[in-house]
Parts: sequence; C-alpha cells; structure tokens
Amino acid sequence: MYGEIQVDKVSKAFGGVQALSEVSLTLRPGAVHGLVGANGAGKSTLIRVLAGAVLPDSGQILIDGKAVEIGSPTAASNLRLAFIHQEMSLIPGWDVLRNMALGIKPHTHAGIIDWRPLRARAQAVAERVGMQFSLTTLVDDLTTADQWLVMIGRALMGESRMIAMDEPTASLSAQEAGKLHAIIRSLTDDGEAVVFVSHRLDEVAGLCDDVTVFRDGKTVESAVGRKLSKPELVRAIVGGEVETVGRSESAAVVGEAVLAVESVSDRKKLRDVSLEVRAGEVVGLGGLVGAGRTELARIIYGAEKLTSGRVLYQGKPVRFAEPADAVAKGIGLVPEERRAQGIFLEESIAFNINIATISELRARWLPWLKMRKGRERAQAAADLVTVKAPNVGVKAGKLSGGNQQKVALARWMVDRPQLLILDEPSRGVDVGARAEIHRLVRQFAAEGSAVLAISSDNEELEVLCDRVVVMAEGRVAGELQGQEITQARILELSFNRESEGE
Amino acid sequence: MPAQTNNALKISLTVVSKYGTLIAMAAMIALFWALSPRHSFLSMTNVLAVVNQSAMTAIIASALTLVLVVGEFDLSVGYHASLAGVLCTGMIVRSGFPIPVAIAAMLAIGAVIGLVNGLLVTKAKVNAVVATLGVGTMLVGLTYGYTQGSPITSVPAEFKQITLGRTLGVQNPIWIMLIVLALLWVLLNRTALGQRIQAVGANQEAARLAGVRVDRTKNIAFGIAGCGAALAGLMLASFLGSGTQSAADGYLMDSFAAVFLGSATLRDGSFHIVGTLVGVLIVNIGFNGLSLLGTPVFWQYIFKGGILVLAVALSSIARQAAKEV
Repeated sequence: MYGEIQVDKVSKAFGGVQALSEVSLTLRPGAVHGLVGANGAGKSTLIRVLAGAVLPDSGQILIDGKAVEIGSPTAASNLRLAFIHQEMSLIPGWDVLRNMALGIKPHTHAGIIDWRPLRARAQAVAERVGMQFSLTTLVDDLTTADQWLVMIGRALMGESRMIAMDEPTASLSAQEAGKLHAIIRSLTDDGEAVVFVSHRLDEVAGLCDDVTVFRDGKTVESAVGRKLSKPELVRAIVGGEVETVGRSESAAVVGEAVLAVESVSDRKKLRDVSLEVRAGEVVGLGGLVGAGRTELARIIYGAEKLTSGRVLYQGKPVRFAEPADAVAKGIGLVPEERRAQGIFLEESIAFNINIATISELRARWLPWLKMRKGRERAQAAADLVTVKAPNVGVKAGKLSGGNQQKVALARWMVDRPQLLILDEPSRGVDVGARAEIHRLVRQFAAEGSAVLAISSDNEELEVLCDRVVVMAEGRVAGELQGQEITQARILELSFNRESEGE
Repeated sequence: MPAQTNNALKISLTVVSKYGTLIAMAAMIALFWALSPRHSFLSMTNVLAVVNQSAMTAIIASALTLVLVVGEFDLSVGYHASLAGVLCTGMIVRSGFPIPVAIAAMLAIGAVIGLVNGLLVTKAKVNAVVATLGVGTMLVGLTYGYTQGSPITSVPAEFKQITLGRTLGVQNPIWIMLIVLALLWVLLNRTALGQRIQAVGANQEAARLAGVRVDRTKNIAFGIAGCGAALAGLMLASFLGSGTQSAADGYLMDSFAAVFLGSATLRDGSFHIVGTLVGVLIVNIGFNGLSLLGTPVFWQYIFKGGILVLAVALSSIARQAAKEV
C-alpha cells in the first residue's frame, strides 16, 4: 500500500496572473479526491504541476513524506503518477491494444516488439476495468465512454499509485458516467489515489471522499473524509464576496431582432438552443468552457454546418455555406483563438484589418487595389480602437496580445456589421486594453448593431452585457437581465444541469 | 556579450538570411566575369542568352509560386507543359488550326487542368501532392496517346518565330517572361485576389473566418499555375520546333528549385514572384558560367542541386540564429 501524496504551499504565476497561490492538499491512497472550481480557478494548473508539465514557483510535492522534484512528464511517470487529460489522446486508426501499449517500453527481440507480454498485461487491465470489447477493436469504433475506458486502461498499464482525471464525464451520459464511477471505486479499493476534476457538482458530491474547492488560485474549502452537499459546493465556488462593478446601462434603444436562433442542435454538443439578439444590445453568452458556446457561434457564422433547427438573420432564415456568406450579409466574428484563428501574425496590421473588406479597395478603372486608401482606412480603424503601434505597416505578430485583439476588432470597424460575434473578447488581454475593448463594444451597440459576446469571464459579462444567456452542457440553462446579471447568478446557472430538474 | 556586438551580429545574420542568395548571385557573376575567356560572361550576347534560357522556367515557376503561396503544391506542371507542347503543335500541324487559336486553346485547357487539380484538393480533399501527381501522370498518358510515340514536326516558321524572333533586339521569350512576371506580381501584391491568396497561405483558418472563400481562392491559384504551365510548354515547342513528348518534364524540378531558392531571398522563407525570378536566374547563371568555363556537365547538376539545398539551409539557419541572438 502506498502512502500519501502531499501538495505543500505550491504557488505558480503566469505573467501577472497568480494561477496557484499557496495551495496545499493531501491525496490519500484509496480515496477519490475531487477538485472543483470555476474556469481558471487553478485546478488544471495543479494537475499540470503534478504531471511535470509546469514547474511551481514555490512550494513542494511530498510523496510518502519525502519531497520530490517533478521536472518532466517522465519524472511524473517514474513516480507512478498517471494522468488522463481532457482532450482525447487516443490515436485513431489504431486498435485498443496498440493505444494502451503507447508509452510503455516494450520487450523487444532484435528491435522487434514482443507483443505477448503487452497483450497479457492489457488483457488483465481490460478485465480490471471491465472492458466489454476486444483488444483488437479499432478505437474509432468505440463509444466515447468506452474510449475513456481505454484511456484509463492505458494509465493502468504501468504501475501507478495515483490517477488524475480531468473532466472524464464531461461528454458522457448519466448512465455511462455511473459506469465510470464504479470503475473509479474499484481502483480506489485497490489502494489507488484518484484525482477527479469535474464541473458536475452532484457527481462530485456523490463520488468523492475528499473535496478541494478552488477560487482564484486559492483553496477556499477542503473537506477530508466528509461529503460536501451541492449547495455547499456552489457557495464555496461562487464565494460570498462578489464585488459589484458599475454596470454600463444601455444607452441605445433596443430595436428589432437581428439574430434569432431557434432550437439549434448538433450531433455533438448543442441541444435545442434558442436565443435572440436585438439591434442595439449586447447579449452575453455565459457558461463553462465546453458548454457549446463556441460551437453555436460557429454555426451562426457558417463556419460549421447547421444540421438541426433554424437561424434567422434579420427575420429571414439563413444557412451560410461558409463564413464569407455571413460576412457578405453583414456579420462579423472575432474568434476565440486569436493567434490561430483571428490574426495573421506574419502580416501587417493594415493587411489584417483590410482583408475582410478587401474588394472595396478596388480601383474603379484599373484592375488593382488602391493601396494608399487601404493604409488610410486601416489607420483610421486602428486609431478608432486605439491600437498602440507606430504605424499600420507593423507586423501583427510584434504586438502585445491586447493590441492584437484590438486589430482583430478593428477589422470589423471598417464596415460596421449589423451583427458582431465576439468569442472571449478579452482573454489574455491586460486590464487597460480590456476596458478599452468593452468601451468599443458598448459604443458599437449604441450605434445600432447587435453584439453577441461569449465570455467565460463572468465579471466581463456583468460589466458588458444588457442580457446574458447562460449555457450548460449544450443547453440554455437560463437568461439574466439588468440587475439580475451578477457573477454569482451566472456561475450558478453555469453549473445547472437539466437532469437535476432546476 | 555586450549589447552592441549582439546587435551587429543580429543585423549581419538578418542580412545573410534575406540577401544571402543575392550576394551569392553577385559573387557568381563576378567570378564568372573574372574567369571567363575575354570576360565574355558579361557580354551583351551572353547576358541576353542567360535570361532567354531562364524565360520559360521563370514563367512556369512564377505561376507555380501562387500555388505555393496559397499553401498547396502542384507536381503536374512539367507533364502539363509537355502535353501543351504536343497538343499545340498538333492542333497547328495535324488539324490546321490558326496559331492564335491553338495558343488560346492551350491556355484555356491549361486553366481547366489546373482547376481539376484545385477541385481535387479543395472539394475531394485529396492531398495536393497525391492529386497533382496523379493528374500529372494521366497527362503523360494523354501526351503519349496523342503523339503515338513520334514527335510532331514540320511546325510552321511563324510558330517557331514566337520564341526565336526578337523585338527591339531582345529575344521574344524575355519580353513574354517580363510581361507574365509583371502581371503575376501585380496580381499577387496589388489585387484583392492576391491579398486573399496571401491570407489563405498565411493562416487558412483565420482567412476563412475573415470571410475569404478559401476553396475558391485555391482553385484560382491552381488555374493560374495551369495557364503558366501551358504557356511555358507551348513556348518550348516553338523553341524546339517540334512537339515532343516529355520535352518539358524537367520544368517540374527546375521550377520547384527556383521557387524554393526564391523563398530564401528578401523574405523570411515565404514564396514571392521576385524571389522566384532570382531563383531561376541563379541556376541559369551557374549553368551558363560553368559551361563557359568548360566544366563537365555532371558538375553543373551537382551545382544546381547543391546551391538549392545550401541556399535554403543557410538562409533558414541564419534566420533562426538571428531570432535567438
């Protein structure tokens, strides 16, 4: 039987953000330890510290009472710590056995892998976790729940004393999740320590022996060998002292519905989503990461196919084949992943701003573009959003995150779309730029456009929006208006699940 | 290290990464000038000859540049040029079409073949290397089927005159090359389509979300590469005075070499028209100079492959180093 794993006053800062501050907790063998908290509260950072992916700034990890250095993933695996990360890391096209054997150093004869011991080991693991399928099944043919079993199986292939699972049940049905819980219980019965990250609070309340609640990088509540009820958890996650920031009241007269989403579902995440955005208002889309908000935005924008339900734009049903069709109709999107999807890092600010409306720069008689007009137009848009750069010829990649985000926004200031969709408009942006972006968005709405703003930052939703629609697990969990929009209410709704009948 | 030397090192590395190929070209010119008998390397006749030799490769390579800028590949250009050569001479000699009609037909067919490449890549989602290699191989088949194994000869003098003639004392292919290069440069750098091509190449997903029609943009780039291949192919047939199967196959390697050499010129490893021209010229200057010096042919090929690998490697190493200083 293994001893305890202790996390002792671990701190970690990224840039100016304190992701973990003096976090201490104990992982007991034979117990399930739940980690809960809002997005960005520090759960994932802690797991990355344990996995050797991130080095703490201060504090230490003790295993069996001895301080250990986890400098790399290999070091973590040598210490018999296993991790199952949120994103599926199975290799498609490979069968179960090969996926499970990945990362295990096999016996070889003259370089040729001897599969017999691996197969025997995998068979034993398969029986332990109760796999109902053959080791030769391709992982592509398995259900999500069974794929999770394979991931757990992989973690168990080597000797392990602790398994950390980051949101294993996020994409499972209640029944599948129940099956997973039984397997987790059998692991702890064998003396394994299990770390269980989940946003499903009822599940945490039911399954976990110990619970640690994170808020803003700190542990705000911990219960060892004692169950916390769901209301207790919610209270701890949301916290008592929710600061109230002056909300900017809408100045514009709210007009006709610009966008109406009616019962939109997709095969993966969204279930029967309906919402409406009117001219002159900023509607927030709140919820946890993975609630389906980005997917919805992409469907509206034509970046993803609309398979079920209707999207009405200015009163007419639309079905955009590609984003260009949406742009032509006066819709703009500032995507979530700025560097990967929003900005051309190797191109100039002017290029980045002009590209969406490039055909307007065509000279009347000649087949080329009016380059000077393009520069002037880009400069005007950049000035409007206060991009800090000597001129618009500067490469976007050289700007700070906040300025890059302003460039992404400036692209849509040229033609002023009737509907602007913002996905995490101020993520990774400093405080000054953030306030600036909020001001611009408010002003944009005040001039009569409709804005749909996705944000996982509930303070941002509180400050920015006239109305907030909160999504949870692919559904609309509720809607808040005016004074109802508080961080606490948004968070509460974010954890709302339909199965609980709230 | 003191900041000043650091800075100086960074600047010199940047110079090497951006101007290395141009410096190498200048050095080669100086060397061949010094070594060639009676300094004949820089005689007007020889300079024009070198550029003339470069013309067809430059045309095919600059059209190919657009496909590479958009982030794709076209391995069919050489076989395509060969097909255009035999089809064009065949239409004129066998079927008696007027020369301008035959040329226009080649350009149109070229665009269609390019478009087929594009559609396979964008709509059928076939990897560009596979799609264009497959299409290219089919084009080889068409070429052999059309010629039945024997070259198409007795080409009319007017057709030969297109590339053998001179205007204002300069060989026609040089004029054609300059016009094509100017058109493609303007297209890529001064038109909405060109900006879209660059956007798709720089970041396809960002381009799509900014409202660029990615598939359409790629298809057009493939179409232009097809036109370029057809033009170079029919010019070669005119130059050789016959439509010969596989005559232009070698353009595939030559044009890729030029485009990649060009990517190491003036820019940070991105493809562009001026760079492609420099790439073509470097290879041909080397070939010409070495043969003036009486170097055996095998050396000329070793030079050609060597300078490509060396230039691209040096430029990329210098660029990395400049970043790290």
